[in-house]
Amino acid sequence: MGKIPLSVRSTKLPVPLLKLPPASTTVQVSETEPLRALGSVPRHFRGAHDSRSSPSSFKRKKTASAVPPLLMAPQSVFQSRRLSDAKRDFDSLLLSSRRSSVSSPVRLDCNSLLQAFCNAGATSEDAIAFLHHMSLRAPSFSPDRSSYHIVLVHSCLQPCPGDISGALRALGLMVENNLPPTPATADLAVRSLCSARREDDACEFIRVLSLRHSAPPDAFTYNFFVRQLCKTRSLSTVYDFISGLHSAVGVKPDLVTYTILIDAVCRGKNLREATRLLGVLADSGFKPDCYLYNTIMKGYCTLDRGNEVIAVYNKMREEGVEPDLVTYNTLVYGLSKSGRMDQALKFLNIMTERGQFPNTVTYTALMNGMFRKGRALDALKLLEEMNARGCTPNECTYNTLLMGLCRAKVLDKGMELYGLMTASGMKLESGAYSALVRALCRENKVSEAYSVFDYALESKSLPDVAAYLPLESSLKLLKKIKA
Amino acid sequence: MVVRAAKVIVNNPKKVADLVDLANLSGPLREFMGQSQISRLGCFVRIWSYIKEKGLQDPSNKNIVNCDDKLKGMLLGKPQLELAELPMLIKMHFPKTPNRCL
Repeated sequence: MGKIPLSVRSTKLPVPLLKLPPASTTVQVSETEPLRALGSVPRHFRGAHDSRSSPSSFKRKKTASAVPPLLMAPQSVFQSRRLSDAKRDFDSLLLSSRRSSVSSPVRLDCNSLLQAFCNAGATSEDAIAFLHHMSLRAPSFSPDRSSYHIVLVHSCLQPCPGDISGALRALGLMVENNLPPTPATADLAVRSLCSARREDDACEFIRVLSLRHSAPPDAFTYNFFVRQLCKTRSLSTVYDFISGLHSAVGVKPDLVTYTILIDAVCRGKNLREATRLLGVLADSGFKPDCYLYNTIMKGYCTLDRGNEVIAVYNKMREEGVEPDLVTYNTLVYGLSKSGRMDQALKFLNIMTERGQFPNTVTYTALMNGMFRKGRALDALKLLEEMNARGCTPNECTYNTLLMGLCRAKVLDKGMELYGLMTASGMKLESGAYSALVRALCRENKVSEAYSVFDYALESKSLPDVAAYLPLESSLKLLKKIKA
Repeated sequence: MVVRAAKVIVNNPKKVADLVDLANLSGPLREFMGQSQISRLGCFVRIWSYIKEKGLQDPSNKNIVNCDDKLKGMLLGKPQLELAELPMLIKMHFPKTPNRCL
Protein backbone atom coordinates (compact mmCIF):
# COMPACT_ATOMS: atom_id res chain seq x y z
CA MET A 1 0.00 0.00 0.00
CA GLY A 2 1.04 3.59 -0.35
CA LYS A 3 4.23 4.33 1.41
CA ILE A 4 5.55 7.55 2.73
CA PRO A 5 8.97 8.62 1.55
CA LEU A 6 11.82 7.47 3.64
CA SER A 7 12.83 10.93 4.67
CA VAL A 8 9.47 11.51 6.26
CA ARG A 9 9.28 8.47 8.42
CA SER A 10 10.43 8.90 11.95
CA THR A 11 13.64 7.11 11.48
CA LYS A 12 14.57 4.15 13.56
CA LEU A 13 18.29 3.77 13.77
CA PRO A 14 19.75 0.34 13.24
CA VAL A 15 20.27 -1.32 16.55
CA PRO A 16 24.07 -1.44 16.51
CA LEU A 17 24.09 2.33 16.59
CA LEU A 18 22.50 2.33 19.98
CA LYS A 19 25.16 0.25 21.65
CA LEU A 20 27.09 2.10 24.24
CA PRO A 21 30.73 2.49 23.41
CA PRO A 22 33.09 0.41 25.49
CA ALA A 23 33.69 2.12 28.78
CA SER A 24 36.83 4.09 29.44
CA THR A 25 38.50 3.92 26.06
CA THR A 26 39.37 6.23 23.29
CA VAL A 27 37.06 6.40 20.35
CA GLN A 28 38.25 3.58 18.17
CA VAL A 29 37.61 4.22 14.54
CA SER A 30 38.45 0.94 12.95
CA GLU A 31 37.28 -0.23 9.60
CA THR A 32 35.51 -3.22 11.00
CA GLU A 33 33.39 -1.30 13.44
CA PRO A 34 32.28 1.84 11.71
CA LEU A 35 28.82 1.72 13.24
CA ARG A 36 29.95 1.49 16.76
CA ALA A 37 32.44 4.27 16.28
CA LEU A 38 29.73 6.48 14.90
CA GLY A 39 27.50 5.56 17.79
CA SER A 40 30.02 6.72 20.31
CA VAL A 41 30.50 10.14 18.83
CA PRO A 42 27.36 12.17 19.36
CA ARG A 43 27.16 11.81 23.06
CA HIS A 44 24.05 13.85 23.67
CA PHE A 45 21.99 11.39 21.72
CA ARG A 46 22.28 8.74 24.34
CA GLY A 47 19.49 7.93 26.74
CA ALA A 48 15.83 7.99 26.04
CA HIS A 49 16.23 10.11 23.01
CA ASP A 50 18.51 8.42 20.56
CA SER A 51 16.13 6.13 18.76
CA ARG A 52 14.17 9.00 17.36
CA SER A 53 16.74 11.27 15.83
CA SER A 54 16.89 11.67 12.11
CA PRO A 55 20.01 10.64 10.26
CA SER A 56 20.45 14.16 9.02
CA SER A 57 20.85 15.62 12.48
CA PHE A 58 23.23 12.82 13.20
CA LYS A 59 25.57 13.84 10.45
CA ARG A 60 25.30 17.42 11.44
CA LYS A 61 26.73 16.79 14.84
CA LYS A 62 29.47 14.33 14.07
CA THR A 63 32.00 16.72 15.44
CA ALA A 64 33.02 15.95 18.99
CA SER A 65 36.27 14.08 18.67
CA ALA A 66 38.02 13.24 21.87
CA VAL A 67 41.73 13.84 21.87
CA PRO A 68 42.57 12.95 25.49
CA PRO A 69 40.86 9.79 26.64
CA LEU A 70 37.56 10.39 28.32
CA LEU A 71 36.62 8.73 31.54
CA MET A 72 33.25 7.31 30.72
CA ALA A 73 30.91 7.40 33.62
CA PRO A 74 28.70 4.37 34.10
CA GLN A 75 25.06 5.18 33.48
CA SER A 76 24.11 4.40 37.06
CA VAL A 77 26.66 6.70 38.61
CA PHE A 78 24.02 8.74 40.39
CA GLN A 79 21.83 6.84 42.79
CA SER A 80 19.65 9.75 43.85
CA ARG A 81 18.00 12.60 42.05
CA ARG A 82 19.06 15.15 44.63
CA LEU A 83 21.34 17.95 43.56
CA SER A 84 23.49 17.89 46.70
CA ASP A 85 24.24 14.17 46.31
CA ALA A 86 25.13 14.63 42.67
CA LYS A 87 27.49 17.49 43.48
CA ARG A 88 29.22 15.41 46.14
CA ASP A 89 29.59 12.44 43.80
CA PHE A 90 31.00 14.67 41.11
CA ASP A 91 33.57 16.19 43.43
CA SER A 92 34.83 12.79 44.50
CA LEU A 93 34.99 11.62 40.88
CA LEU A 94 36.94 14.71 39.99
CA LEU A 95 39.36 14.11 42.81
CA SER A 96 40.01 10.51 41.83
CA SER A 97 40.49 11.44 38.19
CA ARG A 98 43.09 14.06 39.18
CA ARG A 99 44.95 11.47 41.22
CA SER A 100 45.08 8.98 38.41
CA SER A 101 46.03 11.60 35.89
CA VAL A 102 49.68 11.39 36.86
CA SER A 103 50.10 8.01 35.22
CA SER A 104 47.51 8.31 32.48
CA PRO A 105 45.76 11.55 31.73
CA VAL A 106 42.04 11.08 32.14
CA ARG A 107 39.42 13.71 31.58
CA LEU A 108 35.96 13.44 33.01
CA ASP A 109 33.22 13.30 30.41
CA CYS A 110 31.02 15.95 31.93
CA ASN A 111 28.31 15.70 29.31
CA SER A 112 27.67 12.05 29.96
CA LEU A 113 27.69 12.79 33.69
CA LEU A 114 25.06 15.42 33.04
CA GLN A 115 23.04 12.95 31.01
CA ALA A 116 23.33 10.39 33.79
CA PHE A 117 22.10 12.92 36.32
CA CYS A 118 19.14 13.76 34.06
CA ASN A 119 18.37 10.06 33.65
CA ALA A 120 18.35 9.68 37.42
CA GLY A 121 15.24 11.84 37.39
CA ALA A 122 16.57 15.27 38.25
CA THR A 123 14.39 18.32 37.76
CA SER A 124 15.39 20.67 34.97
CA GLU A 125 16.41 23.36 37.48
CA ASP A 126 18.74 20.89 39.18
CA ALA A 127 20.21 19.85 35.84
CA ILE A 128 21.10 23.46 35.05
CA ALA A 129 22.54 23.98 38.52
CA PHE A 130 24.61 20.80 38.18
CA LEU A 131 25.94 21.94 34.82
CA HIS A 132 26.94 25.24 36.40
CA HIS A 133 28.61 23.43 39.29
CA MET A 134 30.62 21.23 36.90
CA SER A 135 31.79 24.17 34.83
CA LEU A 136 33.03 25.90 38.00
CA ARG A 137 34.84 22.89 39.48
CA ALA A 138 36.39 21.31 36.41
CA PRO A 139 38.52 23.92 34.68
CA SER A 140 38.97 21.86 31.55
CA PHE A 141 35.24 21.71 31.00
CA SER A 142 33.28 24.48 29.44
CA PRO A 143 29.70 23.74 28.50
CA ASP A 144 29.29 23.33 24.77
CA ARG A 145 26.23 23.10 22.61
CA SER A 146 25.68 19.43 23.43
CA SER A 147 25.62 20.18 27.17
CA TYR A 148 22.80 22.63 26.65
CA HIS A 149 21.08 20.21 24.30
CA ILE A 150 21.06 17.62 27.08
CA VAL A 151 19.40 20.07 29.44
CA LEU A 152 16.99 21.17 26.73
CA VAL A 153 15.97 17.65 25.79
CA HIS A 154 15.59 16.74 29.44
CA SER A 155 13.24 19.61 30.15
CA CYS A 156 11.29 18.88 26.96
CA LEU A 157 10.76 15.30 28.06
CA GLN A 158 9.16 16.36 31.35
CA PRO A 159 5.45 15.65 31.37
CA CYS A 160 4.23 19.15 32.09
CA PRO A 161 2.06 20.28 29.18
CA GLY A 162 1.62 23.99 28.71
CA ASP A 163 4.85 24.94 30.44
CA ILE A 164 7.90 25.43 28.24
CA SER A 165 9.73 27.72 30.67
CA GLY A 166 12.36 25.02 31.32
CA ALA A 167 13.11 24.62 27.63
CA LEU A 168 13.23 28.38 27.17
CA ARG A 169 15.64 28.71 30.08
CA ALA A 170 18.00 26.18 28.52
CA LEU A 171 17.71 28.05 25.24
CA GLY A 172 18.42 31.36 26.98
CA LEU A 173 21.55 29.93 28.61
CA MET A 174 22.75 28.74 25.23
CA VAL A 175 22.35 32.17 23.69
CA GLU A 176 24.01 33.87 26.66
CA ASN A 177 27.09 31.71 26.12
CA ASN A 178 27.35 32.73 22.48
CA LEU A 179 25.98 29.48 21.15
CA PRO A 180 23.10 30.44 18.90
CA PRO A 181 20.58 27.63 18.36
CA THR A 182 21.04 25.58 15.21
CA PRO A 183 18.47 23.55 13.28
CA ALA A 184 19.65 20.61 15.38
CA THR A 185 18.42 22.41 18.49
CA ALA A 186 14.97 22.74 16.99
CA ASP A 187 15.01 19.12 15.90
CA LEU A 188 15.97 17.77 19.31
CA ALA A 189 13.46 19.92 21.14
CA VAL A 190 10.58 19.16 18.80
CA ARG A 191 11.18 15.43 18.81
CA SER A 192 11.44 15.27 22.58
CA LEU A 193 8.35 17.43 23.05
CA CYS A 194 6.43 15.21 20.66
CA SER A 195 7.52 12.05 22.40
CA ALA A 196 6.20 13.56 25.64
CA ARG A 197 2.94 14.25 23.77
CA ARG A 198 3.34 18.00 24.07
CA GLU A 199 2.58 18.99 20.47
CA ASP A 200 1.10 22.36 21.43
CA ASP A 201 4.26 23.22 23.34
CA ALA A 202 6.36 22.17 20.37
CA CYS A 203 4.29 24.55 18.22
CA GLU A 204 5.01 27.37 20.66
CA PHE A 205 8.69 26.47 20.89
CA ILE A 206 9.11 26.51 17.12
CA ARG A 207 7.45 29.91 17.01
CA VAL A 208 9.87 31.28 19.64
CA LEU A 209 12.87 29.79 17.87
CA SER A 210 11.86 31.19 14.50
CA LEU A 211 10.83 34.64 15.63
CA ARG A 212 13.27 35.50 18.40
CA HIS A 213 16.30 33.44 17.46
CA SER A 214 15.81 33.22 13.69
CA ALA A 215 16.50 29.50 13.76
CA PRO A 216 13.51 28.04 11.94
CA PRO A 217 13.22 24.28 11.71
CA ASP A 218 14.74 22.58 8.68
CA ALA A 219 12.74 20.47 6.27
CA PHE A 220 13.21 17.26 8.26
CA THR A 221 12.03 18.72 11.54
CA TYR A 222 9.22 20.60 9.84
CA ASN A 223 7.86 17.54 8.06
CA PHE A 224 8.26 15.35 11.11
CA PHE A 225 6.27 17.82 13.13
CA VAL A 226 3.56 18.24 10.50
CA ARG A 227 3.16 14.48 10.43
CA GLN A 228 2.93 14.35 14.20
CA LEU A 229 0.35 17.14 14.22
CA CYS A 230 -1.70 15.37 11.57
CA LYS A 231 -1.79 12.29 13.75
CA THR A 232 -2.76 13.98 16.97
CA ARG A 233 -4.54 17.23 16.19
CA SER A 234 -7.32 18.49 13.97
CA LEU A 235 -6.65 19.55 10.42
CA SER A 236 -7.29 23.20 11.20
CA THR A 237 -4.51 23.16 13.80
CA VAL A 238 -2.13 21.82 11.17
CA TYR A 239 -3.14 24.50 8.70
CA ASP A 240 -2.79 27.20 11.37
CA PHE A 241 0.72 26.00 12.10
CA ILE A 242 1.72 25.89 8.44
CA SER A 243 0.31 29.30 7.57
CA GLY A 244 1.65 30.82 10.81
CA LEU A 245 5.18 29.66 10.07
CA HIS A 246 4.87 30.72 6.47
CA SER A 247 3.83 34.27 7.26
CA ALA A 248 6.31 34.64 10.13
CA VAL A 249 9.54 33.34 8.64
CA GLY A 250 8.62 32.18 5.15
CA VAL A 251 9.00 28.45 5.70
CA LYS A 252 6.96 26.89 2.95
CA PRO A 253 5.54 23.40 2.78
CA ASP A 254 7.38 21.24 0.25
CA LEU A 255 6.33 18.22 -1.75
CA VAL A 256 6.90 15.91 1.19
CA THR A 257 4.68 18.06 3.39
CA TYR A 258 1.91 17.90 0.82
CA THR A 259 2.28 14.14 0.61
CA ILE A 260 1.89 13.93 4.38
CA LEU A 261 -1.16 16.19 4.30
CA ILE A 262 -2.84 14.29 1.50
CA ASP A 263 -2.18 11.03 3.27
CA ALA A 264 -3.68 12.42 6.46
CA VAL A 265 -6.87 13.73 4.82
CA CYS A 266 -7.31 10.47 2.93
CA ARG A 267 -7.09 8.59 6.18
CA GLY A 268 -9.89 10.82 7.42
CA LYS A 269 -11.83 9.95 4.24
CA ASN A 270 -12.00 13.59 3.26
CA LEU A 271 -11.93 13.39 -0.52
CA ARG A 272 -12.86 17.01 -1.17
CA GLU A 273 -9.96 18.30 0.89
CA ALA A 274 -7.57 15.92 -0.86
CA THR A 275 -8.66 17.21 -4.24
CA ARG A 276 -8.24 20.79 -3.07
CA LEU A 277 -4.74 20.00 -1.82
CA LEU A 278 -3.85 18.55 -5.21
CA GLY A 279 -4.93 21.84 -6.78
CA VAL A 280 -2.85 23.84 -4.29
CA LEU A 281 0.09 21.60 -5.01
CA ALA A 282 -0.14 22.24 -8.74
CA ASP A 283 -0.51 25.98 -8.15
CA SER A 284 2.66 26.14 -6.07
CA GLY A 285 4.54 24.56 -8.92
CA PHE A 286 5.27 21.12 -7.57
CA LYS A 287 5.30 18.12 -9.84
CA PRO A 288 3.91 15.02 -8.15
CA ASP A 289 6.45 12.25 -7.72
CA CYS A 290 6.04 8.53 -7.34
CA TYR A 291 5.44 8.75 -3.59
CA LEU A 292 2.66 11.24 -4.01
CA TYR A 293 0.96 9.13 -6.65
CA ASN A 294 1.23 6.13 -4.35
CA THR A 295 -0.37 8.13 -1.58
CA ILE A 296 -3.22 9.17 -3.85
CA MET A 297 -3.76 5.58 -4.91
CA LYS A 298 -3.80 4.47 -1.31
CA GLY A 299 -6.28 7.22 -0.58
CA TYR A 300 -8.66 5.87 -3.19
CA CYS A 301 -8.29 2.40 -1.68
CA THR A 302 -9.19 3.61 1.81
CA LEU A 303 -12.15 5.47 0.36
CA ASP A 304 -13.40 2.19 -1.12
CA ARG A 305 -12.92 3.47 -4.63
CA GLY A 306 -10.44 0.91 -5.82
CA ASN A 307 -11.65 1.41 -9.38
CA GLU A 308 -9.96 4.78 -9.60
CA VAL A 309 -6.44 3.40 -9.16
CA ILE A 310 -6.23 2.60 -12.87
CA ALA A 311 -6.86 6.24 -13.71
CA VAL A 312 -4.08 7.32 -11.35
CA TYR A 313 -1.78 4.74 -12.87
CA ASN A 314 -2.50 6.01 -16.39
CA LYS A 315 -1.91 9.59 -15.28
CA MET A 316 1.43 8.55 -13.82
CA ARG A 317 2.47 6.98 -17.08
CA GLU A 318 1.38 10.09 -18.99
CA GLU A 319 3.49 12.30 -16.75
CA GLY A 320 6.44 10.02 -17.20
CA VAL A 321 6.74 8.98 -13.56
CA GLU A 322 8.11 5.48 -13.28
CA PRO A 323 5.90 3.32 -11.02
CA ASP A 324 7.70 1.37 -8.30
CA LEU A 325 6.87 -1.80 -6.43
CA VAL A 326 4.65 0.05 -3.97
CA THR A 327 2.65 1.49 -6.84
CA TYR A 328 1.99 -1.93 -8.29
CA ASN A 329 1.15 -3.40 -4.92
CA THR A 330 -1.33 -0.62 -4.26
CA LEU A 331 -2.75 -1.08 -7.72
CA VAL A 332 -3.23 -4.80 -7.21
CA TYR A 333 -4.70 -4.18 -3.77
CA GLY A 334 -7.17 -1.61 -5.06
CA LEU A 335 -8.28 -3.77 -7.95
CA SER A 336 -8.63 -6.84 -5.75
CA LYS A 337 -10.60 -4.88 -3.21
CA SER A 338 -13.07 -3.70 -5.84
CA GLY A 339 -13.38 -7.22 -7.18
CA ARG A 340 -11.65 -6.79 -10.55
CA MET A 341 -9.52 -9.87 -10.24
CA ASP A 342 -8.83 -10.31 -13.95
CA GLN A 343 -7.25 -6.92 -14.15
CA ALA A 344 -5.32 -7.46 -10.93
CA LEU A 345 -3.87 -10.66 -12.36
CA LYS A 346 -3.04 -8.83 -15.57
CA PHE A 347 -1.03 -6.30 -13.62
CA LEU A 348 0.85 -9.13 -11.97
CA ASN A 349 2.26 -9.90 -15.42
CA ILE A 350 2.75 -6.27 -16.37
CA MET A 351 4.80 -5.55 -13.29
CA THR A 352 7.05 -8.53 -13.93
CA GLU A 353 7.60 -7.34 -17.49
CA ARG A 354 8.59 -3.93 -16.22
CA GLY A 355 11.13 -5.34 -13.83
CA GLN A 356 9.24 -5.20 -10.54
CA PHE A 357 8.84 -8.60 -9.00
CA PRO A 358 5.68 -9.33 -7.06
CA ASN A 359 6.41 -9.90 -3.39
CA THR A 360 4.53 -11.22 -0.40
CA VAL A 361 2.41 -8.10 -0.17
CA THR A 362 1.28 -8.43 -3.79
CA TYR A 363 0.25 -12.01 -3.35
CA THR A 364 -1.50 -11.35 -0.07
CA ALA A 365 -3.55 -8.60 -1.70
CA LEU A 366 -4.43 -10.94 -4.54
CA MET A 367 -5.49 -13.72 -2.18
CA ASN A 368 -7.65 -11.27 -0.32
CA GLY A 369 -9.39 -10.41 -3.58
CA MET A 370 -9.85 -14.07 -4.46
CA PHE A 371 -11.60 -14.74 -1.18
CA ARG A 372 -13.81 -11.73 -1.65
CA LYS A 373 -14.94 -13.27 -4.90
CA GLY A 374 -15.41 -16.64 -3.21
CA ARG A 375 -12.58 -18.29 -5.15
CA ALA A 376 -10.93 -20.02 -2.20
CA LEU A 377 -9.24 -22.69 -4.28
CA ASP A 378 -7.70 -20.09 -6.59
CA ALA A 379 -6.26 -18.43 -3.53
CA LEU A 380 -4.61 -21.68 -2.50
CA LYS A 381 -3.21 -21.97 -6.02
CA LEU A 382 -1.73 -18.52 -5.57
CA LEU A 383 -0.02 -19.74 -2.40
CA GLU A 384 1.64 -22.50 -4.40
CA GLU A 385 2.66 -20.10 -7.14
CA MET A 386 4.04 -17.77 -4.54
CA ASN A 387 6.14 -20.49 -2.95
CA ALA A 388 7.35 -21.56 -6.39
CA ARG A 389 8.54 -18.04 -7.09
CA GLY A 390 10.47 -17.91 -3.87
CA CYS A 391 8.25 -15.55 -1.87
CA THR A 392 7.83 -16.65 1.70
CA PRO A 393 4.33 -16.05 3.05
CA ASN A 394 4.28 -14.00 6.22
CA GLU A 395 1.96 -13.68 9.18
CA CYS A 396 -0.38 -11.42 7.25
CA THR A 397 -0.61 -13.90 4.37
CA TYR A 398 -1.46 -16.74 6.71
CA ASN A 399 -4.08 -14.68 8.49
CA THR A 400 -5.67 -13.70 5.18
CA LEU A 401 -5.71 -17.33 4.08
CA LEU A 402 -7.08 -18.55 7.39
CA MET A 403 -9.87 -16.02 7.41
CA GLY A 404 -10.76 -16.70 3.81
CA LEU A 405 -10.75 -20.47 4.19
CA CYS A 406 -12.87 -20.39 7.32
CA ARG A 407 -15.39 -18.10 5.74
CA ALA A 408 -15.50 -20.20 2.61
CA LYS A 409 -16.25 -23.18 4.90
CA VAL A 410 -13.14 -25.11 3.91
CA LEU A 411 -12.46 -25.81 7.55
CA ASP A 412 -10.12 -28.81 7.13
CA LYS A 413 -7.68 -26.73 5.07
CA GLY A 414 -8.11 -23.94 7.57
CA MET A 415 -7.22 -26.19 10.49
CA GLU A 416 -4.18 -27.43 8.59
CA LEU A 417 -3.07 -23.85 8.14
CA TYR A 418 -3.83 -23.06 11.77
CA GLY A 419 -1.58 -25.94 12.76
CA LEU A 420 1.24 -24.46 10.68
CA MET A 421 0.69 -21.08 12.29
CA THR A 422 0.73 -22.37 15.85
CA ALA A 423 3.83 -24.44 15.12
CA SER A 424 5.75 -21.35 14.08
CA GLY A 425 4.22 -19.22 16.86
CA MET A 426 2.45 -16.73 14.60
CA LYS A 427 -0.09 -14.35 15.98
CA LEU A 428 -3.73 -14.40 14.99
CA GLU A 429 -5.44 -11.27 13.76
CA SER A 430 -8.87 -10.53 15.07
CA GLY A 431 -10.62 -11.16 11.73
CA ALA A 432 -8.99 -14.52 11.20
CA TYR A 433 -9.54 -15.45 14.83
CA SER A 434 -13.25 -14.77 14.89
CA ALA A 435 -13.75 -16.48 11.53
CA LEU A 436 -11.96 -19.57 12.80
CA VAL A 437 -13.83 -19.69 16.09
CA ARG A 438 -17.16 -19.22 14.35
CA ALA A 439 -16.39 -21.94 11.82
CA LEU A 440 -15.36 -24.36 14.58
CA CYS A 441 -18.48 -23.68 16.60
CA ARG A 442 -20.65 -24.13 13.56
CA GLU A 443 -19.22 -27.63 13.20
CA ASN A 444 -19.80 -28.28 16.90
CA LYS A 445 -16.07 -28.49 17.59
CA VAL A 446 -16.38 -26.54 20.81
CA SER A 447 -13.28 -27.81 22.54
CA GLU A 448 -11.18 -26.90 19.50
CA ALA A 449 -12.66 -23.43 19.63
CA TYR A 450 -11.64 -23.23 23.28
CA SER A 451 -8.11 -24.25 22.45
CA VAL A 452 -7.95 -21.56 19.74
CA PHE A 453 -9.08 -19.13 22.43
CA ASP A 454 -6.26 -20.37 24.65
CA TYR A 455 -3.74 -19.97 21.85
CA ALA A 456 -4.90 -16.43 21.15
CA LEU A 457 -4.33 -15.50 24.79
CA GLU A 458 -1.11 -17.44 25.08
CA SER A 459 0.47 -15.92 21.97
CA LYS A 460 -0.77 -12.50 23.05
CA SER A 461 -2.45 -12.04 19.67
CA LEU A 462 -5.48 -10.35 21.09
CA PRO A 463 -6.50 -8.70 24.33
CA ASP A 464 -8.67 -10.89 26.57
CA VAL A 465 -11.89 -9.09 25.76
CA ALA A 466 -11.34 -9.23 22.00
CA ALA A 467 -10.67 -12.96 22.26
CA TYR A 468 -13.62 -13.73 24.53
CA LEU A 469 -16.40 -11.86 22.75
CA PRO A 470 -16.21 -13.78 19.44
CA LEU A 471 -16.14 -17.06 21.37
CA GLU A 472 -19.19 -16.13 23.38
CA SER A 473 -21.19 -14.92 20.40
CA SER A 474 -20.25 -17.99 18.34
CA LEU A 475 -21.40 -20.28 21.14
CA LYS A 476 -24.66 -18.36 21.29
CA LEU A 477 -25.00 -18.93 17.56
CA LEU A 478 -24.42 -22.65 18.03
CA LYS A 479 -27.19 -22.80 20.60
CA LYS A 480 -29.55 -21.17 18.13
CA ILE A 481 -28.61 -23.64 15.40
CA LYS A 482 -29.23 -26.57 17.75
CA ALA A 483 -32.54 -25.27 19.01
CA MET B 1 -16.09 -7.03 6.91
CA VAL B 2 -15.47 -9.47 9.70
CA VAL B 3 -12.52 -7.40 10.82
CA ARG B 4 -14.77 -4.40 11.05
CA ALA B 5 -17.44 -6.36 12.91
CA ALA B 6 -14.94 -7.56 15.49
CA LYS B 7 -13.73 -4.02 15.99
CA VAL B 8 -17.28 -2.84 16.55
CA ILE B 9 -17.75 -5.40 19.28
CA VAL B 10 -14.56 -4.39 21.01
CA ASN B 11 -15.47 -0.75 20.65
CA ASN B 12 -18.85 -1.24 22.22
CA PRO B 13 -18.09 0.18 25.63
CA LYS B 14 -21.11 -1.23 27.39
CA LYS B 15 -20.34 -4.79 26.37
CA VAL B 16 -16.72 -4.42 27.33
CA ALA B 17 -17.64 -2.85 30.65
CA ASP B 18 -19.99 -5.74 31.30
CA LEU B 19 -17.08 -8.09 30.87
CA VAL B 20 -14.32 -6.37 32.74
CA ASP B 21 -16.04 -4.53 35.59
CA LEU B 22 -15.53 -6.12 38.94
CA ALA B 23 -18.67 -7.51 40.51
CA ASN B 24 -19.41 -8.82 43.99
CA LEU B 25 -19.57 -12.59 43.98
CA SER B 26 -22.21 -14.88 45.37
CA GLY B 27 -21.38 -17.36 48.16
CA PRO B 28 -20.37 -20.52 46.27
CA LEU B 29 -18.44 -18.57 43.67
CA ARG B 30 -16.61 -16.64 46.35
CA GLU B 31 -15.48 -19.88 47.92
CA PHE B 32 -14.19 -21.18 44.60
CA MET B 33 -12.33 -18.04 43.64
CA GLY B 34 -11.01 -17.24 47.06
CA GLN B 35 -11.79 -13.60 46.51
CA SER B 36 -14.93 -11.53 46.84
CA GLN B 37 -14.83 -9.63 43.54
CA ILE B 38 -13.97 -10.61 39.99
CA SER B 39 -14.94 -9.63 36.47
CA ARG B 40 -17.02 -11.94 34.32
CA LEU B 41 -14.09 -12.43 31.96
CA GLY B 42 -11.75 -13.22 34.82
CA CYS B 43 -14.25 -15.71 36.20
CA PHE B 44 -14.54 -17.47 32.84
CA VAL B 45 -10.80 -17.72 32.41
CA ARG B 46 -10.40 -19.06 35.96
CA ILE B 47 -13.05 -21.75 35.59
CA TRP B 48 -11.80 -22.81 32.16
CA SER B 49 -8.25 -23.13 33.39
CA TYR B 50 -9.57 -25.09 36.42
CA ILE B 51 -11.27 -27.52 34.04
CA LYS B 52 -8.09 -27.95 32.03
CA GLU B 53 -5.95 -28.30 35.13
CA LYS B 54 -8.04 -31.06 36.62
CA GLY B 55 -8.64 -32.74 33.26
CA LEU B 56 -12.40 -32.68 33.68
CA GLN B 57 -13.21 -32.87 30.00
CA ASP B 58 -14.82 -36.16 29.03
CA PRO B 59 -12.18 -38.25 27.24
CA SER B 60 -14.63 -39.60 24.68
CA ASN B 61 -16.27 -36.28 23.91
CA LYS B 62 -14.15 -33.28 24.65
CA ASN B 63 -17.13 -30.96 24.39
CA ILE B 64 -18.55 -32.28 27.64
CA VAL B 65 -17.23 -31.56 31.09
CA ASN B 66 -17.69 -33.98 33.97
CA CYS B 67 -18.21 -31.71 36.95
CA ASP B 68 -16.43 -32.36 40.19
CA ASP B 69 -18.01 -31.33 43.49
CA LYS B 70 -16.58 -27.87 43.41
CA LEU B 71 -17.95 -27.15 39.95
CA LYS B 72 -21.29 -28.70 40.76
CA GLY B 73 -21.75 -26.38 43.67
CA MET B 74 -21.27 -23.45 41.41
CA LEU B 75 -22.89 -24.36 38.11
CA LEU B 76 -26.46 -25.60 38.65
CA GLY B 77 -25.37 -28.86 40.31
CA LYS B 78 -25.60 -30.90 37.11
CA PRO B 79 -23.21 -33.86 36.86
CA GLN B 80 -22.24 -32.93 33.32
CA LEU B 81 -22.25 -29.72 31.35
CA GLU B 82 -21.51 -28.82 27.80
CA LEU B 83 -18.54 -26.64 27.16
CA ALA B 84 -20.70 -24.53 24.89
CA GLU B 85 -22.95 -23.59 27.81
CA LEU B 86 -20.15 -22.39 30.02
CA PRO B 87 -20.35 -18.67 29.16
CA MET B 88 -24.12 -18.67 29.71
CA LEU B 89 -23.83 -20.46 33.04
CA ILE B 90 -21.25 -18.02 34.24
CA LYS B 91 -23.35 -15.13 33.06
CA MET B 92 -26.06 -16.19 35.48
CA HIS B 93 -23.78 -15.32 38.34
CA PHE B 94 -23.43 -11.82 36.98
CA PRO B 95 -26.90 -10.26 36.89
CA LYS B 96 -27.37 -7.25 34.70
CA THR B 97 -27.94 -4.41 37.16
CA PRO B 98 -26.52 -5.59 40.43
CA ASN B 99 -24.50 -3.87 43.06
CA ARG B 100 -21.62 -3.14 40.69
CA CYS B 101 -18.71 -1.49 42.28
CA LEU B 102 -15.98 0.35 40.46
